[in-house]
Amino acid sequence: MTLATPVGARDHVQGSASARVTLLEYGDYECPGCGRAYPIIKAVQKAFGPNLRFVFRHFPLVTSHPHAVKAAEAAEAADAQGKFWAMHDRLFEHQDALDDMDLRRHARKIGLDLERFEQDLRGQALQARVRSDAEEGLRSGVNGTPTLFINGVGYSGKLEREALVLALARAALKAAPPVPA
Amino acid sequence: MKTEGKPMATQSVHQLSESARRAIGRVTFVRLTIYYICAGAVLLLITGLFPQGATGPAPPPAPTDMGGALSWIRGQLSLFPHGTPVWVDAAVQMISAMLLVLPMAFVYVRTRTRVKYDHSIIQTVIVLPIVVCAILVVVRNSLALAFSLAGIVAAVRFRNNLKESGDAVYIFGSIGMGFATGIHALGVAAVLSVFFVVLELALWKFNFGAEFEHTFARLCMPSGADLAAISSATGEPLPSANLKEEPEREDDAARNKLVRIYVDQVEQARPLVEAVLERDAKSYALAGTRPSDGGPGILEYRVRIRKRVDLDTLRERLLREGAPHVVAADESSSTERL
Repeated sequence: MTLATPVGARDHVQGSASARVTLLEYGDYECPGCGRAYPIIKAVQKAFGPNLRFVFRHFPLVTSHPHAVKAAEAAEAADAQGKFWAMHDRLFEHQDALDDMDLRRHARKIGLDLERFEQDLRGQALQARVRSDAEEGLRSGVNGTPTLFINGVGYSGKLEREALVLALARAALKAAPPVPA
Repeated sequence: MKTEGKPMATQSVHQLSESARRAIGRVTFVRLTIYYICAGAVLLLITGLFPQGATGPAPPPAPTDMGGALSWIRGQLSLFPHGTPVWVDAAVQMISAMLLVLPMAFVYVRTRTRVKYDHSIIQTVIVLPIVVCAILVVVRNSLALAFSLAGIVAAVRFRNNLKESGDAVYIFGSIGMGFATGIHALGVAAVLSVFFVVLELALWKFNFGAEFEHTFARLCMPSGADLAAISSATGEPLPSANLKEEPEREDDAARNKLVRIYVDQVEQARPLVEAVLERDAKSYALAGTRPSDGGPGILEYRVRIRKRVDLDTLRERLLREGAPHVVAADESSSTERL
């Protein structure tokens, strides 16, 4: 499985483009598996520091997770105010509280302009953005969440910290070392 | 491996004892006080409703006679003015025993650690005075019953190892409570309960006698004496560093880490990694290595991080100063060694 759409300017990215390895996740805020992966990815980010770039794309599973699309749109609405990652973290840390009232509460907690947040949520642009992520995922062969790609190649190992660190380290060493500044 | 810090000999014993001081807390104090006030009110009420023996229809007291007034009130309150039935009297005594022993059980929990805690002691401390009280109600003034009881007790063998010698005090306290309530000495039982609770909490709070040097200094040395002075006074060598073992143990989990460092070439990365550890770790030891056979090499270290550095900072320095050989530095949670 390889990534059909490379990481671009419209993606949500943590870390530098010059990082030795890129970890991309197709995720769903209501998916318990993604909830379990969340602290693992956080730990992996700490372990690799500047050597890792993390990218998150939406892949809400609408049939089994009724709040997933709205939660993804809420993350995009937070992005419009420059707080995508704050909302991303909050949604994964409160996976059992994703209804409309909860999303409003999360927005208030991370300091968003509520009026603008609700206005953005009512618009069509965010829905299109989330749908576009999901369609790109389908083109890359994603059929469930969480699905991880390491340097554009699908990760099929165990979703455990040590296994993931090892796979990322292997990928990082395959890539050319960064040029010292 | 290096150690750092002030030499033990120059530390004041009073500084040492600071670590051992425990806080009882306002919640404990308030709860115990409220409990005793409520229990006292309940006991006054039930002993008024069910007094021992007959109260009879007492005549109204003279306005200046306080004792007579109280007797009159109790006579008016009493549900059984011609004598409380034995079973009701026994129930009152047992309830009194239970009410007065509960704070002792509370103090047992408050003053124990998870390791020293024994749940069977709590249950014993609560039930034992009720049983003892019941036995005394049965035996009462009968010498024959007392001898029978002695015979029965001799026939039953009790064998139980207490986790803590201090637990025995609770058992004895609980028996004392049963005796006091069993002979209608409610006042004695109440005093025993309060005194026991206050003394146990005070001894626990100040950890009295736990540190020999501190206790010796308090009792036998001028104030401000240091360990060296105590050593010469007792003629014994200085205590070892494990004097501060307990507070350090809490810190250990945060400072002692097993760190896995993922590198391209083990031999080239190791000196860079160890240069960082030399500076930022109080001590470290290589726990295992995995050579880089086509994949990442791994260096695994047991590290005791210095207090001024946290794990994230150490990781960040390993990545920066170990570049380009170090690609990741992760805290290992695996029990599987390399």
